[in-house]
Amino acid sequence: MSTTTPTPSELLYRKVRAHGIDFFVSVPCSLLGGVINLLEADRDVVYTPVTREEEGMGILTGAYLAGRRPAIVMQNSGYGTIVNAICSLVGYYRIPTVMLVSHRGSEGEKIEAQVPMGEAVQAVMEASGVRCATVPHPDQLGRVDEGIEWALAEERPVAFLFPFSYWKVADYTPEHR
Amino acid sequence: MRRFEATKKVMETIGDELVVCNIGHPSQELFQIRDRPENFYMLGSMGLASSIGLGLAMSQPRKVVVFDGDGSVTMNLGTFATIGRVAPANLVLVVIDNEAYGSTGFQTSFTAGKLDLAGVARAAGIESVTVVDAEDEIVPTMRRVLGEHGPHVVLVKCAAGMPDGVGVIPIDGLAIRDRFMATVRG
Repeated sequence: MSTTTPTPSELLYRKVRAHGIDFFVSVPCSLLGGVINLLEADRDVVYTPVTREEEGMGILTGAYLAGRRPAIVMQNSGYGTIVNAICSLVGYYRIPTVMLVSHRGSEGEKIEAQVPMGEAVQAVMEASGVRCATVPHPDQLGRVDEGIEWALAEERPVAFLFPFSYWKVADYTPEHR
Repeated sequence: MRRFEATKKVMETIGDELVVCNIGHPSQELFQIRDRPENFYMLGSMGLASSIGLGLAMSQPRKVVVFDGDGSVTMNLGTFATIGRVAPANLVLVVIDNEAYGSTGFQTSFTAGKLDLAGVARAAGIESVTVVDAEDEIVPTMRRVLGEHGPHVVLVKCAAGMPDGVGVIPIDGLAIRDRFMATVRG
């Protein structure tokens, strides 16, 4: 890898940081491993791993109440565990959380069990009041600019789905689980 | 001592601390006991009061006191792991343990059986864990923990039940949020 060519993880992370997002929580994911490494190394953000996505939404709410701009790094499967927190906390109190979501179950998925949630996630997000955009390639990171600007202006949550194609992982093997 | 009396005693020790309060009757009781802009009433999302408090504690220097319940914190046991890991010095988690799900009709909770929440907190790496079972111990315990580096967990053993005449909070979520954010900004 050339030292001058930024990775998809670096491109995403720079994009999000440029909007002043300064408080992060994460739940592990191999696709998001590069982003999580960047988070751990960044001394200008507040960051902690969390045990589960729902807990993360509570922490992000506290951060926003204190004037931070918060984001969660998670897999789409975790969205299935947080719908009540999205509706009755983040939605009700108008907390503009940014959700950076790897899209398991998208084209290239090898684990069948990941497919049903992968297919459901966008509709579930939209039904629960989260604006959702897919970013299939780093060339489309402008969707992140647009989504974050909307979220901060409207004080509403926004999610970005990053399928395998974004990470240039064409063939997702069980070793990547 | 019920949750109402315990909450009243804790609030006697509160100065400019930020307070996050659990869903349901706990928030309604706190509103009646002592409403203030520094109170954030979490009116949905059962289980997440301690997480909201943790996010606040990580983001600004003021002390944060969370009122949680045994049933609700059991919904989010992972919170102890995260609080233990982050170890915010300015967080006090008060767990009102009445061994019941009070807001839903006083069904017995897990602490009525074998669950030891103080043991869970300690095992998660939280060093300051205090169990209080007498009303007159609450004020000295709170004064002590508010004067020391945390994180602290204070588990208050209470009887189930609540007084008559406690009603719903008459202000909406955005108003609760906006006045809270204004006071955090200072």
